[in-house]
This record gives sequence, structure tokens and C-alpha cells, in this order.
Amino acid sequence: MTGNCPLPLLTLMLALPIGTAVLCLLCRKRPTAAKTLALAGTLTVLLFAVSCFVLLPAEPGWLLREEYRWISVLGIRFSLGLDGLSLLMVLLTALLSVLAVGLSWNEKNRPAAFFALLLVVEAGVLGVFMALDLVLFYICWEMMLLPLFFLIGIWGQRGGVAAALKFFLFSLAGSLLMLLAIIILYVLHGQQYGDYSFALAALQQTAIPAGLAPWLFSGFALAFLIKVPLVPLHSWQADTYSAAPAACSLLLAGVLAKTGIYGLIRFALPLFPTVAQGALPVLAILALIGILYGGWIASAQRDLKRLVAYSSLAHLGFIVLGLSAWTTTAAEGALLQMANHGLTTAALFILIALIEQRTGSRHLDDLGGLWSRVPRLSALLLFFALAALGLPGLNNFVGEILILLGTFAVHPLQAVLAALGLLLAAIYMLRLVQEVIWGPGKGERSWTDLGLSEWLLLAPLAVLVLWLGFYPETFLEPLRGPAQQLLNEAVSLSQSGGMP
Amino acid sequence: MTAPELIALLPLLILALGATALLLLARNSVGRSWPLIGGAFLALTAALSATFLPTCPIEVGGMFSAGPYARFFIALWSLATAATLILSGPYLARRQLPSGEYSALLLFAAAGMGLLSSAVSLSGIFLALEAFTLTFYVLIAYNKGCSLGPEAGIKYLVPGGVAAGLLAFGMALLYVASGSLQLPAATAALLSGAPMQAIALTGLAMLLAAFAFKLSLAPFHFWTPDVYQGAPAPVTGLLASGSKGAVTVALLTITATLPAAPAFFQPVLIALALLSMVVGTFCALAQSNVKRMLAYSSVVHMGFVLTGLLCWNHPGRTAALFYLVGYSIVTLGIFAIISSFSTQKEPQQLTDYRGLARRHPLRALALTVLLLALAGLPPTVGFMGKLAIFTAAIAAGLPLLAVVGIVSSVISVYFYLQPVIQMYMAAPPAEESVTGHWSEYGVISLCFALTFLFGLWPGKLLEFLVRLTP
Repeated sequence: MTGNCPLPLLTLMLALPIGTAVLCLLCRKRPTAAKTLALAGTLTVLLFAVSCFVLLPAEPGWLLREEYRWISVLGIRFSLGLDGLSLLMVLLTALLSVLAVGLSWNEKNRPAAFFALLLVVEAGVLGVFMALDLVLFYICWEMMLLPLFFLIGIWGQRGGVAAALKFFLFSLAGSLLMLLAIIILYVLHGQQYGDYSFALAALQQTAIPAGLAPWLFSGFALAFLIKVPLVPLHSWQADTYSAAPAACSLLLAGVLAKTGIYGLIRFALPLFPTVAQGALPVLAILALIGILYGGWIASAQRDLKRLVAYSSLAHLGFIVLGLSAWTTTAAEGALLQMANHGLTTAALFILIALIEQRTGSRHLDDLGGLWSRVPRLSALLLFFALAALGLPGLNNFVGEILILLGTFAVHPLQAVLAALGLLLAAIYMLRLVQEVIWGPGKGERSWTDLGLSEWLLLAPLAVLVLWLGFYPETFLEPLRGPAQQLLNEAVSLSQSGGMP
Repeated sequence: MTAPELIALLPLLILALGATALLLLARNSVGRSWPLIGGAFLALTAALSATFLPTCPIEVGGMFSAGPYARFFIALWSLATAATLILSGPYLARRQLPSGEYSALLLFAAAGMGLLSSAVSLSGIFLALEAFTLTFYVLIAYNKGCSLGPEAGIKYLVPGGVAAGLLAFGMALLYVASGSLQLPAATAALLSGAPMQAIALTGLAMLLAAFAFKLSLAPFHFWTPDVYQGAPAPVTGLLASGSKGAVTVALLTITATLPAAPAFFQPVLIALALLSMVVGTFCALAQSNVKRMLAYSSVVHMGFVLTGLLCWNHPGRTAALFYLVGYSIVTLGIFAIISSFSTQKEPQQLTDYRGLARRHPLRALALTVLLLALAGLPPTVGFMGKLAIFTAAIAAGLPLLAVVGIVSSVISVYFYLQPVIQMYMAAPPAEESVTGHWSEYGVISLCFALTFLFGLWPGKLLEFLVRLTP
């Protein structure tokens, strides 16, 4: 049952990484074959995603839908859907997965298993972005978390096991409460309509008792905000990002964080429109705290990965702030910023990994004077750092200015405070640049500058950063529909009461 | 006995008579594998006959039914016993333990569990329960060389004796009140308005205490960790899956005769389920011995199963049965892996699992998946079971049980991951560990495959159980 596509494209996109992962595990003895397979698999998914983006018309509503019977007794269906927002997220996931595979190309420790797990993460994330059945969504949600536990625990640096456990328990605490909320919704819907179903569209019709709704909403919101993370649920983040292998940090910050925000947009806000309206101010305050606190803490970090981790906290605060402003401009900005942040953070994590490969350290105290030794790498670091701090003409500027404009229209004070966060971003990013690139060089050795494969990792990101900076319309256009839909759907539902 | 009755009982007769024959034939069976293979063959035959013989409407002696419900569980426990027999070969050979008596005892146990699952009267329940408990007393202490074994046997014997006493006395009281041992006539005295309801309720309380002993529901669980630790790993697997399963099936038969929990029993039973989840979870957190951890985890899981029964409706009972089937598969698999890693000594401490993933990637993967299934993560049968149980609990208006169940699931992930962390994220020790035997691999891969199969496509099994549940 596909919309206008002869192939079950979405199912294929989901099945491809899993199939490739199994094949990878089968060539445990031949690491080259395993990594070639992984690259081919991720590239094929990227090809699918790009062709969807190019070929499908940018219109509001579902661009592709697929639905199959699965577990009829429990009302679970295998239903996937793709709209402008999920398409952009799928595109981001597919791109960053290719980069993650490329970045780990020289993995020596059990490479086949490593790539297989990366591919399972990709499949899980793609499923999260496409699932329209809540149980399917939950299964994909767990499927993306579990491999990360192993990736961080086995291939992580010192403290990896503890970080992995912390990450997993945090995530699981949130997601199991979400499962409980899903079950309660399902039962309520079944009792009201006599039709037991986990489909999102069906559950949206459910009338939720006023006393219960805030609890259910917080069940969902907790799972999603832990994943983002939003202050005060962020304590797993810096440890995990810094202990995780480079490819995982890239995926965690670039893609996994977006699953939380996507979950809010796709599930938590539309399912509980009335409660969500009441929760927006709280979200805004938490987001502001995140922006300022994240920026502040980032300024004090000496470890590059931790610095980027906390800067992520601030950037994701911006996105949540844009959502909670509940205006079209801010919402569009927030959706676009999800992609922007994914690109710049991914680039920064790649660069940090490259620096660490060369110098053996990612501590600010050990670094300095890179410009004179590896000028191309340093130039790219400068470029992406400027993008991250929101330089006009580069991608983050567009998203942030839209968020700030949209927020200023309704909550001027919040926008002013958030703008202070931009100042903090300038402080920590410029300090990073200053201490890493400029200054006297430490140590005697000289290193090779960027090689071809490393250019291949970074060039697409640089192109996209410029593209989004100068002509964001390409990506904003497909987001208009979802942004409008988010605001409208909630409003129309809240006007009709959402109550019995 | 008439011919239809014989046919009705045929699967159980195969088990019991086969066991007797084995006992007579197999002497000096140390290191021999034919009694085990023969036993497994008999158990498989019993399972096949239970599956394919036409179900009979008659009740044998007014005690045992031969309906689809009974037949399904006879088949299930026979299969579990066959799997246990198949994987026990290398385990027994390494310890120089006689396999003939072992095989016979396991078959007797299977017959007892099958009888218990098909019991439709209180006397039938008593007879069957005592029949297989007796064999387990011996089986738990089967390894005489290991000091923990006999100790565990005694620890199972003493509470077991108390439970048997309680069971008999409770049944007597129910009989006094109702004048019948047949279900559902025997439990009719529990309904409000029945004469002598108080006596019947006292009887039920004793009956439930005895069941709680067997199911190791907190606070009746104190024997569990010691017995799990001391018993041979394959026996522990059958004890955890089949024995507890058969008792649950009998409890379900009893609860299905009542429209709702009699009088004050609902809060008491809810408390029992809650306590099992909480106590089991927190005790398991503190364990560094994997078998003890699994013992406490079984306490938690029995709390989940009880949650399903406490819904007092058809979906709840179906969920409980589905959970039970899934749990049996997973536990059997886990203990199969533990026994496949056993040398003279079983790998019980967490540190015994260090770095196993490097030497034995397949079994490490299987153990990981099965432990995560116990933790209830998708896409395993454990997740679907939890989904079914919690859905039934919420629909039946028991949100507290669902909330506590969810919270205990979160916490329990911590201890289920501990062996996984040891296997994958710790350096392997110098000494060589055991390579498994093909028979062990067979059982493990079957459990592994079923865990995924019922996790991804539970529909068929669920539909079947919906039709089966009384």
C-alpha cells in the first residue's frame, strides 16, 4: 500500500541497514569486506533519501505512506510515513551514517561487529523518524539505543562502560515510562472506540481525562527530553559524548538528539495538545536555562569533546525555544535548526577525531599552533567553528535568527536572553579556535594535513553549511507544511477541546 | 480404565511408563548418553502425541482433563524436558553422574507437570504437584559431589513439606465448605453468600500460600536463591520454566473458576505481586552470582505473571500464559548456556563471564539476547509479554501494578546487563573455557530463534492462546 511509489521504499530503507548489518557480521574474518559492505549499505540508503528529496514534491502532508498488517491481536501495524520533516531527518541520518562509517574506516578492534552495530543504530533512527505506529516507534527507539550501549561500552575510551551504562539507564528510564503512557493511551482509546489500535492517527482522537493527560504527556516528554537532552536531564550527555568512539559521538549529537525533538513534534505535542500548550512556557524556561548554562559550562571546558557536548546543550536549547514560542517563524527556524545543528556538530566531532588521531590528545592544554602545521585542517576547524557560533552566511545563523525573530514577536525577554547565549557561543568557540589553531605549537612532531578520504568526509558538510547559509529556501520549503501542520493541528484540536 | 480414558492419558502414560522402563533398563549409566537420548525421544513422542491426538471431552477419574488446554501444556513441558535431557549429556558426563536415573527422574517430573497442568480437581492438583516436587527434591541434590547440591535439596524439601501440608489442609477446608473436590464446584463456596464462606476463604488462603511457595512469590521466596545456586544448571532451567509454569497453569485453572477475587483476597494478592517485583528487583541488584541473580529475577517475573492473573478476566489470563511461555523459553535457553559453559564447576560468579564474547561469540550473543529478553527489551518475546501483561493490567484497572512493574523493569536492566558487560567489556582471563557440545548448541539456538520469532511475530501464538485460555 504505497502512495505513489511502486516499491515499498520506506520498508526497504529500514530493512537495508539491518540486512547489511547481518551481512557484516557474517564476514567477521574479512574486515575489508565488512567495511565496504557497511559503506555500500549506508550509501544506498543515502541515495534513496536523496532521490526522495529530489523527486517528491514539497507539499504538506504525507509524501509516502506504507502500511502492513503485523500483530492484529494487539492492534499493532507496521506503518511508516514520510513527510517534509521526517524526510529532512532521514536525509540527515543517512548522510551522517555514511560519515560515521567513513570516520571509523580504520577501526581495528572487531570491525565487523562495530559496523554492524552502527548500521543497526541507523536502522533504528530511520525507523523512529518514519514510524506511525506507537509500538513500532517504541521498538525502533529501543533498537537505536541498545547498539549504542555496546558501541560506547566496547569501543569507547576510558570510562566507556560506566558512560554506556549511564546513557542506557537514563534513556531506558525515559522510554519505559513512555511505554506505560503509550499503553494507557491504547487502553483509553480501545475503551472509547472499541477499536484497540496503536496507530498514531487513531490515538490522536482519544479523549483523555484532564487529570491523566499531564501525566501521560510527561511520560512522553521525559523520554524525549532525556534524549535531546534538556536541562536538568543532561547529566549523561557530556560523559557519554566524551567516552564514546568518534562515530558514536557524531551520531549521538547529530542524529540521536534530533530524535528527541522529533518525538516531541510528532507525538507528544499532537497527542496532548491542551497539556502541551500549558507546558510550552516550562519548556521555554528549561530551554533558556539550557542555552545559558550550556554556553557557560562550555566556556570552562578543557576537553574538546566535552566543550562541543555542552555547546550542543545550548544549541538544542535554541531549537526547543523555537518550538515553545509557537509561532510559524520560530517553528520553521527550529525545524531547520535541527538539520543545521546536525551538520555543524558532526563536522566538529569529525575534526576533533582527526586532531586526536594526529596529536594523540584533545585537551586544550596539549594543543596549539595547529595552523602552522596542518593549515587545511585548521582552516576547516575555523570554518565550522564560525558556523557553530552563528556567523551570517553560514547555516546556523539562518536557523537561530528565525528562532529569535519568531520568539521576539511573542516573548521579547526570552529572545533577548537567548541572544546572550549567542554571545557565549562566540566566547567558547573563539577560545577553542584560538587555543587550538593559534599560539605556539606544542611538541616537535609535524603531521600530515588532510588526506583525500578526510576531505571526502568534510567537503559535503562544508558545501551543505554554505548552501543552508546562502539559500536555505531549498530546505525551508518542505518544512513549511510540517511547521504549519504542527501549529494548526494542535490549535484546531485544542479549540475542539480535545475533551469529551 | 476404559480405552477412551487411556487415550486421553496417553501422553502422560508415555512419560511415566517410559521413565519406569528407563529406571529398570539403565544401570551403570555413568558417562552413557543413550538413556538421555531415549528419554528425550520419549518426551518428544509424548509431546507429539499430545499435539496430534484428538482432544477428549472426558475427565479421567474426575481429576484430569484431556482438553486442548491440558494438551498444550503437556506438550510444552514435554518439550522443555526433552530439551533439558538433550543438553544434560555433556554436563553429566563431565561430573561422572549416572544418566539413567537422571533421565527417568526428569521424565517423571514431566509427567507430574503435565498432570498438574491438566488437573481439574483439587485432589488432582495435590497429587500432581507432589509427584513432580518429589522428583525435584532428588534432582536438585543430584550432584552428590558438590556440597551445595544436597544443601539446596534440603532447602527445597523443608519449605516444600510445609507447602504440601498447607496445600492439603487448605484443600480439606475447601472440601468441608463446598462438599466437592471438583473445580469449579469446590471454589463455589468462596463466592459471597455461600454457606461456610469463612472456612472456604481460610482454605483458599492456605492454598495460595502453598502456591506462592512453589512460585517463589515474595515473601515466600527465601528458598529460591539457594536452590537455584545449588541445583545443577539444567535442572535449574527446568525448575524455573516447567515447574513454576505448571504451578501457574494450575493456579490459572483455579482463578478461572471465579468471576472475581473473593472477599479481601484482591488487595492481598496485589500486595504479593508488588512485593515480589520490589523485593526481587532490589535483591537481584546486590548479587554477584549469576544464578542467584536469576533466582531473584524469577521472583520479579512471577510477580508479572501474577499481575496477569489478577486482572480476573480473559485478556489478563491470556497475557499471563503468553508471558509464561515466553519466560520458559528464555529461561531454558539461559540455563542451557550456563551449563554449556560449565567445567567441573559452573560459571556462577560474574567474573567467570569475563571476556567470553571473544572466545565464544555465538553463545555470548545468545546469552545477551536472552538476558535482554528477560529485561523486556524489544524485539524479543520478553517485550511482547510485558506489553500484553501491562496492557491487561491497565485495562483491568490495576495501574499501580503496571507502574511498579515498569519501574522495576528499568532497575532490573542494570543487573541483566552485568553479565553482558563482563562478557563484552572485560579482558578474558588466561585459562581456557569450555567449548560447547552440539546438543547444547541445538537447544540454545532453538531458544534463541523462538525468542526472536515470538518477539517479532507473536500474533499466531497469541491467537492460539486466546482460544486456549479458560
